[in-house]
Amino acid sequence: MSGGTAIDAWVWPPGLPVPGAVEAGTAGGINVRYPKSDHHLARLLISSLSRSRIRLGGMRASDLASTLGVVGDRFAAALDDRVVAEVAGNAGLSPTMARVVVRGMADTWTTESLHRLLRSEFPDPAVLDRFVDGAGREIRAAAPGVTMHIGAGSVPGVTVTSIIRALLVKSPVLAKPGAGDIALTTRFARELQRADDRLRGVVAVQYWPGGDPGWEAWEREVLARADQVVVYGGDDTIESIRARAPAATRLIEHPNRLGVAIVDPGAAPGADHRAARAVALFDQKGCVSTHLILFLGNHGDAARWCGRLAAALEALASTLPPAAASEGELSARHQLRGRLALQRAASGDIRFWAGNAGAWTVALAPPELFEPVGGRTAWVVPVPDLAACEQVLAPLARVLQTVGVTGLGARRHAFAEALVAMGATRVVPLDRAPFPDSDWLHDGSRPLGELVRWAELR
Amino acid sequence: MTGVLRELATLFGAWGAEDARTAETITTTPADLAEDDAFNRLALRIHAVQRMSNPMLRRFWDGASGAEPASWREIPPIPVMAFRDVPIVCGTPEAVFRTSGTSGGRGGRGEHHVPSLDLYRAAARGNYRRHLLRGVRRIRMVSLIPDPVVVTDSSLARMAGFIADEPEVAETVWAFDPVTGVDVDSVRDAARGTDPVLLLTTAFSLVHLLDALGSGRLPLPPGSRIMETGGFKGRVAEVDRGALQARVDRTLAVGTSCIVNEYGMTELLSQAYDGVAGGGPADAGATGTDENGAHGGEPRPGSPVPRCHRFPPWVRTRALDPATLSPLPPGQPGLLCHFDLANAGSVCHILTEDLGCTTGDGAIELAGRAPGASLRGCSLMAESFLRLAGR
Repeated sequence: MSGGTAIDAWVWPPGLPVPGAVEAGTAGGINVRYPKSDHHLARLLISSLSRSRIRLGGMRASDLASTLGVVGDRFAAALDDRVVAEVAGNAGLSPTMARVVVRGMADTWTTESLHRLLRSEFPDPAVLDRFVDGAGREIRAAAPGVTMHIGAGSVPGVTVTSIIRALLVKSPVLAKPGAGDIALTTRFARELQRADDRLRGVVAVQYWPGGDPGWEAWEREVLARADQVVVYGGDDTIESIRARAPAATRLIEHPNRLGVAIVDPGAAPGADHRAARAVALFDQKGCVSTHLILFLGNHGDAARWCGRLAAALEALASTLPPAAASEGELSARHQLRGRLALQRAASGDIRFWAGNAGAWTVALAPPELFEPVGGRTAWVVPVPDLAACEQVLAPLARVLQTVGVTGLGARRHAFAEALVAMGATRVVPLDRAPFPDSDWLHDGSRPLGELVRWAELR
Repeated sequence: MTGVLRELATLFGAWGAEDARTAETITTTPADLAEDDAFNRLALRIHAVQRMSNPMLRRFWDGASGAEPASWREIPPIPVMAFRDVPIVCGTPEAVFRTSGTSGGRGGRGEHHVPSLDLYRAAARGNYRRHLLRGVRRIRMVSLIPDPVVVTDSSLARMAGFIADEPEVAETVWAFDPVTGVDVDSVRDAARGTDPVLLLTTAFSLVHLLDALGSGRLPLPPGSRIMETGGFKGRVAEVDRGALQARVDRTLAVGTSCIVNEYGMTELLSQAYDGVAGGGPADAGATGTDENGAHGGEPRPGSPVPRCHRFPPWVRTRALDPATLSPLPPGQPGLLCHFDLANAGSVCHILTEDLGCTTGDGAIELAGRAPGASLRGCSLMAESFLRLAGR
């Protein structure tokens, strides 16, 4: 059990009965308490959120963006050391990393960012308020009923982003944050309740240990009563939700993804620093995190560049320190290094560089050895050209998301076309890889467009 | 290398007859191996032979530590996961054993290339006889571990085959099929006889058997015993051992004192057991030694607790600090690192992913697989990736 006072891992709309019993546990590195599973309460909770839809529906979409933006601005401004420490403890990040991550995420919750998102998704945001003209017909982006968010990840801010997106399309939200995203989510939800009376009852946050048999009845109740479910997580989580959600409940899935980089350092001085940051941020736990770097050049140049990448990762180990590793993570790092050393002994074309106490690893290795092992491990594969990149990335096509590029110059479009054909959904400058813009096409979908129900009037 | 393997097979085979020098060239007895000097001499000799016969290992060791080791402790261990990547063998393999590929949920299968099955049998035999067949004159074996004729690449199945060859085993029923699973009827038939039963099983299959039997009782004949393996925390089939033993007692009428857990891995040719099945006399022979060769003798037969595991005297185990890999004192949990002389044909020093501690009297307390990251993010990690890549 972790030390410290337990935080309340739930925020319910006003007017609901006070939970009769709470249970305690740990989530990430903090103690939490939350109402015990009671599927009658789950029903009341969803009903309450459903009723609040009328209030949300009465707000103009652009006003809603402004109101939420003010909350986002205020929330970001209030991120003091105490809050950051709490978020860091919960997410299993170092405080320095937590601050950088939360600030990066909060940049997409500002008034300006939310209006940009709204406009990029709906050229006329009034389509969220009423029917608008649309090429021989009138169209309307109808608000769904209650959106349920299930977060399995530990990157702080993912749940808040998901809440904001649902509210922007006027859908009340029941959010189950990932175990490492409770502290930030509950704080944001309380800020939202304080900010505007109209938003007081539109969000509920409730943490529960996913997969716990004691919560089966609760989960079935909320899955049946929510109109749509946005689920983040690994294969097991998504398959489990698919198996239990009724056919009428719409599922919007965001499975785990992989980030890669393509680097031509000859044309991009400083690429080593940018790559190191893309590897280190989120301690490589984000879907945007870079694991594999395709180096446009020969093996000798790649080896020299790897040395510089290693130095940059070593510097980041001080300025952006990693979290304390679990015994399993430490074990995995020893296994990785030993394996690389033995593979090097077996075939001379492998080299690796490693930081103290396993803080980072750079492996210059053939592509068939690549595994996304995490722990700030950068796998570097030298490739001569685009065709070779395609060959290396082909086995990753189904899980590819962000490709950070640097030094491509005029080849940028040709590479992007090939990468998109392969499955990548985001090709961006490497230094922007860690933090997507508010209007990014998340896993190949429109972040708001995927939430609404389109209707036509002829 | 072949000569060394033959010598070791003879040496290990003599365990239990330690008063005799067993080979012309090895002036060591199994009992001597409990002493660190004798163990060290033999370990360094095997290391030298492995260096000569396997250039890959030589380069690995030279890269990790240039100095000539003065002690087996200074020989850099091979990570157990490396068995998944490259063949590690000194000589020509007589058999290749493969891991299940599911332990820890990871993809890929480790391969242990074994140049001498005689050495494997010798390394396994003394210990299973001591822990499973004590006081037995005649027994019927029921194996929920696959028949080695059917599953040829399982080291566990091969060991079950060795046990089936023992003179006390009057009959063997292979009651597990890799496709159809546990053959409950065969177990029922065995229960009807008068000969005591030795039930060999994985924890997973034992749970299946009990589930299939439901609330019914199927008391095995008096003197029956069970060897179960696996089921540790973090393994593919994690079981609550206390609850499992209570169910076994209730359903099969085999008490806790007759249920022995075996700790073994494909990558090690020696095994550790956590007790002696049955109520025979205590054994005065040495089993299990910590890194200094200390040993506390045989666990008392029938003693339900503590359930520490003991290897034969040709294995040394250390618990290492998970961060620094420095050796930890007895009682302090760390990553288990085994040095098994029976692995002379592959590599002896192996760093595992298992957590546990040494007890100071030669045993080890297992704590299961080192848990992974307590918090995962939304980045695809190796387990899913390998599944996707078909590796």
